[in-house]
Amino acid sequence: MSVRDLVGRHFSARQQSDVLSGRVRVGLFVAGVVAILFAPFAQAVHPFWMDLATHMFIFALFALSLDFVFGYAGLLSFGHAAMFGAGGYAAALLIQNATASALVVLPVAVLVGAAIAALIGWLSVSARGIYFAMLTLAFAQLFYTVAFNDIPAMLLGLEAVTNGDNGLVGITSLTLFGVDTGSLMAYYYLSLAMLGGMLALVTRLANSPFGRVMQAIRENEDRVAFIGYDVDRYKIVAFTISGGMAGLAGGLWVPFNSTATTAMLHWTTSGELIVMTLLGGMGTLWGPIAGAFLVVFLEDSLSAIGNWEIYLGIVYIVIVIFAPRGLAGIFRTVRSNPDPRVLLSKARSALATYREKVFS
Amino acid sequence: MPSERMSDEKRSVQFSRRKFLAGSGATVAASLAGCFGGGAGSSGSDSVKIGFVLPFSGTYSFLGESIVNGVKLRLDEQLDGEIDGRSVEYVRKDTGADPATGASITQEFLQSENVDFIVGPVSSAVAGAMKPEIASSGSAIWLNANAGNYKLVQDNCTKYHFRTSFNTWQTSAPLASYINDNIADNVVLSYANYTFGQQSKNLFREEFENVGGTVVDEIGAPLGTSDYSSFLQEIENSGADAVFSFFAGSDAVNYIKQFSSFGLNGKMTQTGSGFLLSADTLQAQGTAALGMYSLLHYTPTKQTDRNQAFVDAYSGQYDTTPNVYACQGYDSALAAELAVTEAGGTETDPMVSSLAGAELDSPRGYFKFKSSTHDPVMDMDIRQVVEADGGVQNEVVETLTQVEGPTWGCDL
Amino acid sequence: MAIEGVAKTVLLGVEMGMTLVLVTVGLTLIFGMMDVINFAHGSLYMLGAYFGLTVVTVTGNWWAALLVAPLLVGLLGGLIEYFSIRPLYGRNPLYHILLTFGFAILLHGLVTEIWGGQVQNIATPALLEGSVDLALFSYPLFRLFLLGVSIAVAAVLWAAMRRSDFGIVMRASAHDSEMVDALGTDVKRVFTAVFVLGSILAGLAGVLLGTSRAVDPGMAASIIIQAFAIVVIGGLGSYRGAVVGAFVVGMLNAFGPTFAPQFTDALLYLLMAAVLLVKPAGLFGNPEGA
Repeated sequence: MSVRDLVGRHFSARQQSDVLSGRVRVGLFVAGVVAILFAPFAQAVHPFWMDLATHMFIFALFALSLDFVFGYAGLLSFGHAAMFGAGGYAAALLIQNATASALVVLPVAVLVGAAIAALIGWLSVSARGIYFAMLTLAFAQLFYTVAFNDIPAMLLGLEAVTNGDNGLVGITSLTLFGVDTGSLMAYYYLSLAMLGGMLALVTRLANSPFGRVMQAIRENEDRVAFIGYDVDRYKIVAFTISGGMAGLAGGLWVPFNSTATTAMLHWTTSGELIVMTLLGGMGTLWGPIAGAFLVVFLEDSLSAIGNWEIYLGIVYIVIVIFAPRGLAGIFRTVRSNPDPRVLLSKARSALATYREKVFS
Repeated sequence: MPSERMSDEKRSVQFSRRKFLAGSGATVAASLAGCFGGGAGSSGSDSVKIGFVLPFSGTYSFLGESIVNGVKLRLDEQLDGEIDGRSVEYVRKDTGADPATGASITQEFLQSENVDFIVGPVSSAVAGAMKPEIASSGSAIWLNANAGNYKLVQDNCTKYHFRTSFNTWQTSAPLASYINDNIADNVVLSYANYTFGQQSKNLFREEFENVGGTVVDEIGAPLGTSDYSSFLQEIENSGADAVFSFFAGSDAVNYIKQFSSFGLNGKMTQTGSGFLLSADTLQAQGTAALGMYSLLHYTPTKQTDRNQAFVDAYSGQYDTTPNVYACQGYDSALAAELAVTEAGGTETDPMVSSLAGAELDSPRGYFKFKSSTHDPVMDMDIRQVVEADGGVQNEVVETLTQVEGPTWGCDL
Repeated sequence: MAIEGVAKTVLLGVEMGMTLVLVTVGLTLIFGMMDVINFAHGSLYMLGAYFGLTVVTVTGNWWAALLVAPLLVGLLGGLIEYFSIRPLYGRNPLYHILLTFGFAILLHGLVTEIWGGQVQNIATPALLEGSVDLALFSYPLFRLFLLGVSIAVAAVLWAAMRRSDFGIVMRASAHDSEMVDALGTDVKRVFTAVFVLGSILAGLAGVLLGTSRAVDPGMAASIIIQAFAIVVIGGLGSYRGAVVGAFVVGMLNAFGPTFAPQFTDALLYLLMAAVLLVKPAGLFGNPEGA
């Protein structure tokens, strides 16, 4: 019995239609092991690689939260920055004024994100498709304006709460069981653990009856309603869970950068997230994680060269047109058709379809 | 002609980028060598490493590039890439004017790249995020090349911070007596409603009321407003004889153009902090800005030998006239040069001692780092916009010498 | 506020509103026809300003820019529709917003690369400088010109949609494109034409507003959110809705500063959210058109 069989048995999907097939689970397991071993390696060679990797993990978590509602339940949200930012600011205020214990700060960030999402979700749920997206955009921009003008300070009569365009700075790192997680390596493992944990949780959710209903809603909302499910409630719950995860990402992001700023709440952050999710492959859960890694890496490495927007924009547009299932889709196609000739003919037929749609 | 200037700018950007790319190979090799060789402390004892924490994309990219141009003019062109026999290396990363990115780049520069100097940022919000890192690290000197928020000095001032730019008091309050004496004893304030705007108008107001003037009204507009019509109505309704404003960048262009188009130029005198009417906005503002006053520490048309030499050198190198950001960059280079030369090395604390209280031969005029705050003591120019061939430019009307400003309780 | 003040503010609101109509009517028509939310609409507007800038620099003639720049933007819009949006028809409409969002990013990068990031402006033509005396108050001539152009364009468009053959086909396609296709009209060509039309309008707005306002790469982002708010309030796909929505927002921008200068941004989003909550399809929107 090979190692693969052994591992595969532990990670086999229960059903064919499970999210994250057996093969992918094995792949993720391997990736996880690599990630765990990477830290000491980086520490010895170039510690700052861990910083970039942590950046990737946190945004991967953020992308995962969006994929759960969008790729999975079909709810496009242009306002996920609101939950990300809210979780972040909550973490910042807690660390500054109460405690830096991760056991308190992170759950609070989750709760704040979830609460905001529940509110926005409840208010927006009756809108469909593009209208829902526009509503989330409107609400997120409202939050941005509130934070930028420090309206909480105005209302509470304090000098500063969100501190407007300067944001909150000098946020110290989290402590876990009394241990300061401020070192590169400690924060690396913390973020990795959060990402892994959330991925596992979301997979469980996705494969549960709840998840099945969500998928059904994505496919045909009316039919699900006709069967008797309270579609709105499912949507709100899904959005809330997603918001909690986004809040967690924010709660991790703030101590990592020691700042909480209004940029976290801006619609361009939501937009960046959508780029990551789409590039990675919506609905696959692991795809957006890869998408986040890619985008963070590109932005970092291209920033010295110059206008990364042009390169990223072109790549993104090409993928939307020719590979709408993103990297995950490409990977899947390559995997199930290892013969390069088959791949070539697939590519050619894709081009032919394109030509037909455009020129006919 | 605008197109020439456009391609000038582009050429200067390309030029500096080309130069950087040529140098970056060496930089990458050096930093990698540092990594694999278990790099000891500062980047080798015989080099000076400068990290640029500046925006190179987005709205402020032009400012970031100007600062880099200024630094490189001094260190590469005039000093042949060496300070006191030590070769100069650069690293640069794009903050995109995002404080979180700025903080993380600063961390990287301090811990991984082991820079000796950090030059930047453009935005005060980014500066606020950078400060705790630099203060606790103590391994590099921060040459603040544009962030003017006075609170950087007021709250927990750090000795590693040296401002080669200005603070918000200096670009607003000193104009108060000039206006009161020469223009009007009553003003209305208009500003962009964010920290920089709020600070400028508050500090101005305090000073203006101190010298006996009256502030009739305050009108704040959201940052990024593109149509100021209604706000201009309010300004007109206030009945004041003069306006003091803070707007910058595209806000400044929108505000001034619309101020003039509504005919307010004839009814009230518009004055403001220098960024309202500076070299990078005047080209777009055009004749709408004629006759308006502003206060800034650097004017390219200032007729002094020192400035002329700088302007000639800069134009010769980059095919375009320098602006205040370039001057701030240049002065940062002068500061680095002085620090390393006087301290005989790149050890941070000796460099701090050399810089505190030191004077720089700046194109702007008098420049000295105040010992207690490390903020500049410098000449401030009051300028008025006049016609010039092909457009408009600032002409210095009066120079206020050795303007200091409060210490805000900082005593280093 | 004195009566002159109120009157002037009303005129300001009308003028700002009508200017916004130019920007938004293309956006709403494109959605109504093709279910495409054009996130790049702000970028097309921005390109109108930058093309205008270049034409003025090259020819020295503002009026030439007024004519040429919108056409150039129309051409670009047509190319974008032809080569990248067309292949997506039939897919989940959310892909359109994703695609056009990518174009917004790309165009922003291209503009910054080609024209640079510093702020610029198209100089007001000599003929349109100065103010006009309107009994109670004086008003800038250029802004009146802007108002006139916007009203004229809106009126012509309205008439064309009602009366012309193309207008009828357009409205029919918005209603039921499959049927129109079955009846023999090449619906794809109609879609392209509408997209080109919307782009021309955005480009025209860009040249005009690039004269009275600053031109910089950030102008796309700042206009697109306002534009979205307006079409959402008015009803996605409804021409009437875009006009009314623009009007409402224009008035908001005009009167807001008097009462709540700090919150003019927030008010817009509140209004947008309020309308979406009460009537998701917008004031004049078609509830089926989701």
